[in-house]
Amino acid sequence: MAKEEVKEKTPSQNPESSEKDQTTTNKNAKNKNDKKDNQEDELVSFPNVKITSEEDQQLKSELEMLVERLKENNVELHRPALDSLCTLIRTSTSSMTSVPKPLKFLRPHYRELEDVHASWSESANKHFLADILSVLAMTYSDEGKNESLKYRLIGTNEEAGLWGHEYVRHLSTEIGQVFAQRVENEEPTDDLMKLALEIVPFFLKHNAEADAVDLLLELEAIHQLPQFIDKETYARVCLYMVSCVPLLVAPDDSAFLKTAHTIYRKLDKFPEAITLAIKMGDRELIEEDFESCQDPLVKKQLAFLLARQQIYLEVEDSDLAECLNNTHLSEHFISLARELDVLEPKTPEDIYKSHLENIRTGYSSGSVDSARQNLASTFVNAFVNGGFGKDKLMTTEEDSNSNASWIYKNKDHGMLSATASLGLIHLWDVENGLTAVDKYLYSGEDNIKAGALLAIGMLNSGVRGDGDYAYALLKDYVEEGNVTCRVTSIFGIGLANAGSAREDLAELLLPIVSDSTLSMELSAVAALALGLIFVGSYENDVPSTIIQTMMERDDVHLNDPWSRYLSLGLALLYLGKQDAVDATIETVKTIEHHIGKQTEVLLEVLAYAGTGNVLKVQSMLHHCNDHINKEKEDDLHQAYAVLGVALIAMGDDIGTEMSLRTFNHLMHYGEPVIRRAVPLALGLLCTSNPLLSVLDTLSKYSHDNDSDVAISAIFAMGLVGAGTNNARLAQMLRQLASYYHKEPNSLFLVRIAQGLLHMGKGTMTINPYHTDRQLMSPAAVAGLLTSILAFTDSKTFILGKNHWLLYSIATAMYPRFLITLDEDLKPVPATVRVGQAVDVVGQAGRPKTITGFQTHSTPVLLAHSERAELATEKYISLAHVLEGFVLLKRNPDYMEEDE
Amino acid sequence: MVKVSVKWSGKKFDDLDLDVNESPELFKNQIYSVTGVPPERQKIMIKGGTMKDDTDLSKLTVKEGHTFMMMGTAGELPKPPPEPVVFLEDMSDKQLAQALDIPAGLENLGNTCYMNATLQSLRVMPELHTALNRYQGGITGMDTRGNLTASLRDLYKQLNNTSEGFPPLIFWQMLRQAFPQFSQSGAGGMPMQQDAEECWGELISVLRAKLPSDEASNQSFVDQYMTGQITSELKCLEAPEEQSVIDTETFSKLDCHISISTNFMQNGILDSLKQDIEKHSTTLDRTAQYQKISKVSRLPKYLVVHFIRFFWKPSERVRAKILRKVKFPLDWDATELCTEELQNKYSKVKAKLREVEDSKLEQERETKKRKMKNEIEGEGEGDSAHKDGPEETASTPKESTSSAMDTDPKKDSVDWSQYVDESLANDAGANVTGQYELCSVLTHVGRSADSGHYISWVKKGANEWLKYDDDKVSIVKDEDIQRLDGGGDWPMAYIVLYRAKQLD
Repeated sequence: MAKEEVKEKTPSQNPESSEKDQTTTNKNAKNKNDKKDNQEDELVSFPNVKITSEEDQQLKSELEMLVERLKENNVELHRPALDSLCTLIRTSTSSMTSVPKPLKFLRPHYRELEDVHASWSESANKHFLADILSVLAMTYSDEGKNESLKYRLIGTNEEAGLWGHEYVRHLSTEIGQVFAQRVENEEPTDDLMKLALEIVPFFLKHNAEADAVDLLLELEAIHQLPQFIDKETYARVCLYMVSCVPLLVAPDDSAFLKTAHTIYRKLDKFPEAITLAIKMGDRELIEEDFESCQDPLVKKQLAFLLARQQIYLEVEDSDLAECLNNTHLSEHFISLARELDVLEPKTPEDIYKSHLENIRTGYSSGSVDSARQNLASTFVNAFVNGGFGKDKLMTTEEDSNSNASWIYKNKDHGMLSATASLGLIHLWDVENGLTAVDKYLYSGEDNIKAGALLAIGMLNSGVRGDGDYAYALLKDYVEEGNVTCRVTSIFGIGLANAGSAREDLAELLLPIVSDSTLSMELSAVAALALGLIFVGSYENDVPSTIIQTMMERDDVHLNDPWSRYLSLGLALLYLGKQDAVDATIETVKTIEHHIGKQTEVLLEVLAYAGTGNVLKVQSMLHHCNDHINKEKEDDLHQAYAVLGVALIAMGDDIGTEMSLRTFNHLMHYGEPVIRRAVPLALGLLCTSNPLLSVLDTLSKYSHDNDSDVAISAIFAMGLVGAGTNNARLAQMLRQLASYYHKEPNSLFLVRIAQGLLHMGKGTMTINPYHTDRQLMSPAAVAGLLTSILAFTDSKTFILGKNHWLLYSIATAMYPRFLITLDEDLKPVPATVRVGQAVDVVGQAGRPKTITGFQTHSTPVLLAHSERAELATEKYISLAHVLEGFVLLKRNPDYMEEDE
Repeated sequence: MVKVSVKWSGKKFDDLDLDVNESPELFKNQIYSVTGVPPERQKIMIKGGTMKDDTDLSKLTVKEGHTFMMMGTAGELPKPPPEPVVFLEDMSDKQLAQALDIPAGLENLGNTCYMNATLQSLRVMPELHTALNRYQGGITGMDTRGNLTASLRDLYKQLNNTSEGFPPLIFWQMLRQAFPQFSQSGAGGMPMQQDAEECWGELISVLRAKLPSDEASNQSFVDQYMTGQITSELKCLEAPEEQSVIDTETFSKLDCHISISTNFMQNGILDSLKQDIEKHSTTLDRTAQYQKISKVSRLPKYLVVHFIRFFWKPSERVRAKILRKVKFPLDWDATELCTEELQNKYSKVKAKLREVEDSKLEQERETKKRKMKNEIEGEGEGDSAHKDGPEETASTPKESTSSAMDTDPKKDSVDWSQYVDESLANDAGANVTGQYELCSVLTHVGRSADSGHYISWVKKGANEWLKYDDDKVSIVKDEDIQRLDGGGDWPMAYIVLYRAKQLD
């Protein structure tokens, strides 16, 4: 990878050249100061073989004398001659750009020395000469002959490092080449391996961890690495290895992760190790890491890391369980809000700021209730006050009936979303949330009841109480009763248990998926809920049951818009599983209905989500190439392919940039179905990351003639700005609100985008990447995709009756905070520097990891691609990445500075 | 028997007895007594579900000190509102227009803003609607002017029933039939911009001719409500002894001349009421200088003032515009324009009006003073007095003001008939006080009469105006209207319509 070949090209052997050298030297001696002559000399002579001083002349003759001695038969003199040669070569100082002088002067004698070596009989001297030849071969040997290595192998086996760094690097290049040749010819490689293992420690000691790793990679022996690593080198080695992973092909990538993990474990760096274990998605490894950590504090830190990824382990210790279950998330979030002074609830009007909109019409006068605008306000209110437990529409007064009145200001299915918004407002706060929702469970209005059920599921999302409350409460509604209530309680269970992979839930929901007498809506939502619950784990009955359903259902059912969630449910099971999906794709291909094609694309997309796999991106673009006649053939899979480009490239900076360009082309030449998906893909690619260029692009699309494109773009603007309070985007959205003031549908979406932008009053993120953008939260991806897929048929879902699908974003919502806790898990303020993250992979020394930083006291908010570091040495952080919950230990060596 | 705790609504209730051999009912009743949540609403979480009445507690293996989580509502449940909410989406266009109380605008049919603005400005007069509704004719006849009147009637009716922008297609066609000068087309077949004043004038003349006369007064709408009378005196300046000629004529608009010294509308009007004329004098038997001084002898209910902003510039062959700032009042006392006789008739009611106004101001000042005084006292007391103290003191001034308010209407309900001059009171459609309030402004923006844009601004209520920019209707305030006095490239008043002040 990072290897360059630093081999000086030498001019081909010329019998006359030595004479010429002589003459130029003489000339030089005469006109030492004559620059003009000098230049001429350079023209006639080879730059490398120029002799400029008497010193050099002396060195040259000495070397020639030594070579002569070796040629003689006097064996006695060989040893001292070799010794002096060795000393001369080793002591010659050189710059990076020129060949050391002794090597230069020895060039004409290289072939002679080779002959001498061949003529000698086996002896210590012969080995010694081989060593010297090996060094000389670095510059003189012909390309591809790998003579350095050849002589090295028959040399003394003295430490290679004694000959200098350049020699070692050269040697390692040749090892790589020879190794490849030998493997091809099926020859033994033990000697090479032995040599390599000698070289690796040298590299590691000399700041060349990249070379060490590369050498072992070429020798397919990366597993050998950990034995050489100590606490000085581990950090740089592992950083290099981990950042190589996206560039490697299987199985090297996982081997790298495993090796890095082993190194971390060897040095007891548990947080780093478990992060890699999570990245590999290896549950056994995670459990093992967690179990083998003995330090109770570090273990709590590990629990926080696992909780962020929503991985649940059973533990005895109640403190630890609380960390793992995110029990105090709500508490800490509210304390953050208090610290930032954003506790006061905001009304939708605070967000719209319609007095700043240019056009004032009667619609905003408030004299008449518009069901659509009230619904928009419901969502805005829910997103903005999400997690705070307080708002001004739904939870105002405890006792009076006025709080119910807002629900009734929504029409029919709007009431569902209005009641469900309680779940978002009380997000993570199980105790108070359940009580707030309870009173609506007795409502005679089915929509309100269904909303309350959804709210129960939602407020349990991402946290776990002592028991599984969502399941306990919702179970009864799943199996019987009103269809709407059944649908929302199934979806609620899915939200509450996203990523938990609980088998008992499969037992509950699978019959609903497979029962072909039920409506498509029920089955699809059940499949989706299963997808959420078992996201990224397919080793059970769920995939086969969903495929079975796809095969058995009538075409009429499969044509239902809801069927897309059947596909998504299946595809989510394979999230990030890469080639494990192949068998399923083959099975799905046999389905004749076009749902087969759609599912196939979705499966491929999700299996490679976040991998940056260029081949898969190309195959997705291939799907987009076809110009399908929508009348005759279904083209939905093309929309999935577009989303796929974003999903595969997500989390990789270069991939992101490339796909932004690709989307530009798709927007120009694509069919309508593709154009509608492009803004959504942009939104998915840059969630909670308001890049100016992306905002401008989306702003352009939001005025598109095709209203579906505009609607997608507006929603995408919300996704891109989610939780950031970005002022520029806020301004854009206000302009859009004026622009669309007469189009209720577009205005509805503008409002929702405004709500998303101010999500949690600017304290949240919905980006699925966390822990220094290393880990992708599967539950977050699942939630985001659920809502984004609803926009592939916005008329049916978002603008129709099923706007509650928007609440699936709840699984992706997380505070973008850094909270530092002391040993007793109490918040403790610490001074931190927050700045833009800098990529320091492979940089020498101890480079700064952030730039343009500001100093704050925790708790602080971190924007996308920002990183924090402790500003003082008062505390030692137990986490390797300062994000989310971080445990701090007092630094025993810290001295309070005199004030 | 074990001791357990229950968590509910963020609170924790300790020391509850759970008898594992009893039915859960007993336990639930116990919880009811501490939380107030009725047993049937209690949802107590146990492993794999909630505690039902038939749950066997002994199988739960509850440990001492176990904490149950409970969900439930104490007290009343939220009720639906007594009346269902009516939504915008469910309303018809007509209901919507009424509910929003924003009238519909008129679509621009291609440079027809002059017509739209004129129509909207005229629409402010309710008497016009009544008169139009009494007009029986249709739009199929040969009488183009009758057709125009009928189409105006239909247009206003349609406008009242919609909240969306409305295209006045038929009216426009009728207008062009009746007055072919409006059908000129410019480059590219686009209808040309026209002068709103011309449109206004033609329309008024048609209405004057076509609208049926009122039964009571036997006068048509225009004559009754929009036409005033001027008494002019023509005096020969060079021969003072010559008998001056007194003449009366009617007018349907007052002109406001804009000269280099005109800063206020009233000055401009007075200027135009004073004319210097050269004419043949019979006494001197030569051409002599005459001065014609006109005074208003009848003020109609609706008074139109036309700012003469356009004049023909022969050098550039264009109707140029005077951009000069000319202020116009929102409330206007027009008595200065009147003849002495008329002024006398107004003097009594004017004096009374001023008196009422003054006492109103006095009262306001009084209450303000009292309020301030009370506030200071209230604050002083607030610290020492117990919690209810400030409220009580606050209630006293409220009572006193309300009692003052109670007496006010008695004082206010002046029997105006005592003060209003009888002859004016009998003249329906005349202004009985000489006081006017602005009710619509037609503005023009642009540099010449044939270009630019016309907008109509119509009074809606106190400090609330409707801005009719073709089909875009929005609400603006008094201060926005006052900015329409000209002096730049902002819309400036061209024709303003005053309405006689109502006596309360």
